[in-house]
Amino acid sequence: MSSFSSEKGATSFTLDEKGQYISPFHDIPIYADKDVLHMVVEVPRWSNAKMEITTKDPLNPIKQALRYIANLFPYKGYIWNYGAIPQTWEDPGHSDKHTGCCSDNDPTDVCEIGRKVCARGEIIRVKVLSILAMIDEGETDRKVIAINVDDPDATNYNDINDVKCLKLGYLEATVHWFRRYKVPEGKPGNEFAFNAEFQDKAFAIDIIKSTHDYWKALVTKKTDGKGISCMNTTVSESPFKCEPDASRAIVDALPPPCESACALPSDVDKWFHPQKN
Amino acid sequence: NVAGHYISPFHDIPLNVDSKEEGGVPTKKARNDEDENLFHMVVEIPRWTNAKMEIATEEPLNPIKQDVKHGQLRYTANVFPHKGYIWNYGALPQTWEDPHQKDKDTNCCGDNDPIDVCEIGSKVLSRGEVIHVKILGILALIDEGETDWKLIAINVNDPEAERFNDIDDVKKLKPGYLEATVNWLRLYKVPEGKPENKFAFNGEFKNKAFALKVIKSAHECWKAMMMKKCDSGSINCTNVQVCDSPFHCTPEEAKSFVESVPRSSPSKESSIEEQMWYFLEK
Repeated sequence: MSSFSSEKGATSFTLDEKGQYISPFHDIPIYADKDVLHMVVEVPRWSNAKMEITTKDPLNPIKQALRYIANLFPYKGYIWNYGAIPQTWEDPGHSDKHTGCCSDNDPTDVCEIGRKVCARGEIIRVKVLSILAMIDEGETDRKVIAINVDDPDATNYNDINDVKCLKLGYLEATVHWFRRYKVPEGKPGNEFAFNAEFQDKAFAIDIIKSTHDYWKALVTKKTDGKGISCMNTTVSESPFKCEPDASRAIVDALPPPCESACALPSDVDKWFHPQKN
Repeated sequence: NVAGHYISPFHDIPLNVDSKEEGGVPTKKARNDEDENLFHMVVEIPRWTNAKMEIATEEPLNPIKQDVKHGQLRYTANVFPHKGYIWNYGALPQTWEDPHQKDKDTNCCGDNDPIDVCEIGSKVLSRGEVIHVKILGILALIDEGETDWKLIAINVNDPEAERFNDIDDVKKLKPGYLEATVNWLRLYKVPEGKPENKFAFNGEFKNKAFALKVIKSAHECWKAMMMKKCDSGSINCTNVQVCDSPFHCTPEEAKSFVESVPRSSPSKESSIEEQMWYFLEK
């Protein structure tokens, strides 16, 4: 069980086991154990509200983006617990050699495929299984496939082939979903590198290692993150490290959140049926 | 009902939305073709939920309750890629699939329940809501060996309701929905360890005209039951509005039925069955 917790509400700050405010982007260790990563859950499976770690705000609270994801038939909302790997960063200054596109300036995204519907802001431990190289609106936007270590079937999942065998259709649905999820907003379908094939665990771990290295360069000011807030309370070699009192002051200085502005629109239940061409 | 009296959603809500019958006051308004296809629907299960709610046909005044199996509240499994029910699901009041009669199309006896409806509009409705629907088509499911017709309908208040008038409109405007419907109904009990369901007519949907005939005959079966012209078995026919029925009771008697039933508060915990996603072999 994680010792981290998060506040409820439209803007959610993360707390450590001492109840002090931390950044879910910078202060949660990437590795929970050997081959086990932490994951920050942003969007519970089957929900629609687009929650995100706000990379540009101090202490990077998880906030509701003023958008929701449409229900793409036959799916309802997101089809996995969706979130991010802390202490990773897809550096937009680098062009990925596999996709030919610059990265999306965010932590690396994760799709968690276990049976439990996790809670927004929950921090869980996951085993990496695979990675998909999506190109979202011209930016590299990789998606790690992982499973919650606490899932009752977790020991049966050790690499990409286990997902293919044990959850028939899930990977195909994942590609289908990512390809089309912005079409209801009027945007074109997304593309993929590697012919939309999923790479194996070893490849995924390698990619994560490199996005962790990009993050280290970011928080130690070797790379200019431009608008990114690198404020943190635990990264000792970071010039952006601050004291717990300072992080408390940040949170206290914020205006109260406006809950009504983030209410889901009335047509969030609409089911989008793409017309066949 | 509007007077605040307890009624039965099975027996006391008119099947047809008909100005002749609304409020029990007869009018001289002629019924046109569109009116022929306007029915009340009782919503039992909102789209995307799992709790198996049903009109309790064997209890006085037939409250909508969660089905219980082996002492446990019943939840319908999520069969990938679906989450819960893929339509607002419910029943047409004043209809009954007679278990003593073999249906000529399916060759199976009726399932002893009102006729079921899958409402395909975009809004997720609420449990217990009573809405007006247009019938579009029908599917002949044979569920565990019993005839279990599934009507396809749309809420008349759906923003696109005018574009839907028959089964072909569903095929055109919501591609994949009817195929998903057959697939869902075929597989939904497999996670409980039951076999796949079957269909008459090769799983093809019949059109509105056919559906209206099936509804008419299920309504006749219900009428016969209410007048004690056939064996109602374990069905509770207590009602407040069907004046000629030998099972008719007064609003005061209805109130005392309701008050004598112990009420349990609904469980707020999300059941693990509601989260589990079953990936079945194709």
